Amino acid sequence: MTKQKTLQEAVASIQDGSLLALGGNALHRSPLSFVRELVRQGKKELSVIKTAGALDIDLLALAKSIRSVYAGYIGFEMLGLAQNYRKGVQNEEIIVHEHACASVIAGLRASIYGVPFQPINGFQGSELPELTGLVRNVTCPFTNKETAVVEALRPDITVIHVSIADEKGNAYIDGAAFEDLIMVKAAARVIITAEKIIDSTEWKVTPQVPGFLVETVVLAEKGAAPGSCGSLYSIDEDEVTRYLQDPESYLEKVKGVASHV
Amino acid sequence: MSNLKPADYITVAMARLINDGERVFHGVASPMPAIAIQLAKKLHAKNAVYVSIAGGVDAVPTDYSSVSTADASLAEGALAPFTLADIFDLSARGALDVAFLSGAQIDGAGRLNLSAIGSFEKPKVRLPGGAGSAALLPTVKRGILWKTTHDKRALVDKLDVVTASGNTEFVVTPLAIFKKSEQDNQLKLYSLLPTAKIEDVIENTGFPIEKHQEFHEFPRVTDEEIQYLEEIDPKGVRYSEFS
Repeated sequence: MTKQKTLQEAVASIQDGSLLALGGNALHRSPLSFVRELVRQGKKELSVIKTAGALDIDLLALAKSIRSVYAGYIGFEMLGLAQNYRKGVQNEEIIVHEHACASVIAGLRASIYGVPFQPINGFQGSELPELTGLVRNVTCPFTNKETAVVEALRPDITVIHVSIADEKGNAYIDGAAFEDLIMVKAAARVIITAEKIIDSTEWKVTPQVPGFLVETVVLAEKGAAPGSCGSLYSIDEDEVTRYLQDPESYLEKVKGVASHV
Repeated sequence: MSNLKPADYITVAMARLINDGERVFHGVASPMPAIAIQLAKKLHAKNAVYVSIAGGVDAVPTDYSSVSTADASLAEGALAPFTLADIFDLSARGALDVAFLSGAQIDGAGRLNLSAIGSFEKPKVRLPGGAGSAALLPTVKRGILWKTTHDKRALVDKLDVVTASGNTEFVVTPLAIFKKSEQDNQLKLYSLLPTAKIEDVIENTGFPIEKHQEFHEFPRVTDEEIQYLEEIDPKGVRYSEFS
């Protein structure tokens, strides 16, 4: 039985208030078709886990779809600040659970290992642990040394965008995997959007994501645009710049266009 | 020489701070470090090991994105994969030599703020967040920070939020290079970049300026450095933080 669904069906399975982990890094291989459909379906009160986010978080902020963000960095790198995210935080509509990228990974690893927290070497001298409560100190029962720990981050749903997937959920990431494989293993449910869906008998490369961990596969061509997707396409700088100059128009366009799959 | 811009001096200065054989990392929004690493590897640090978010070891990019330094172009020519999670682990166990980091604010102890202007709870401006810095800066052997502006808003007496603290060794700005003093753990003036005067530095820095015991004149940018800089970055992506 195939795991393939339409984008609308897959997004319809997301409940308001869910904790999502989104794959990719900054403007690279983020599941943006999925994010746009979240906006179209008017999802609310989402919490999102990213290491480094950009258009994904900013668009969800603009659409007033998110309640909180667990991330190390939200911004458009050399193109500037994520203005809608920034405003959402300043207006106290969005809660920032500010992590370091490394502690997002540590929290996800705790989920992978089936343990409640993960020791981490870092944060010495930082005010973030005190300000966020996300990093706390415990005494090691073996050495009696103080060590920082991060609570497990267990996404309700991880969504990643890949180059190729099959009907069983096996998936191949071309280029940098970023934290996607960690997010997949840490989550309760996994949804994959893919540039191309092939039959599981047709693989010519080795998929990194094993299908048994995946609930749903969605065909989403240009699913990471206007960000990049491995060797398939680069960042569409003009489109990202248009978004930054006039995000409201971009949002209207997203809402006005019925998803094409 | 006279037509060199601040980005050229900063990039050359950062390249010179990389030692041969060191394992070197930069993160997002870091065009000058990305190019400085390649420059160092052409010159005095041929055996430096380059790791980045793009996930490969010792990439030799032939093109640079002017909008992102997590781009696939920065994995070009890399052989073995090495993910961002691998890089954080490397630093955590004390095996990463250099991390290039930055902050909206940097203080005299070489700490940085990338979290918020104003209070963390009720920010006047919410900033992007420190990315890897809160975990990297205390664990990497040498943190090299840079700023594209040198004024009292950037180099402050007191940070609004301490996002990351730790092993900052150098801070490079359009006016100066600071090095942390082992005596009091404070940044001291290590070099003035060409065209800058010490009065400019004193006037535009929020923390007190003292000369480092290793203070010296910034060695002239060589023809070889300029030639390689042009060869590595003909499009001038190193200028992209200065628009």
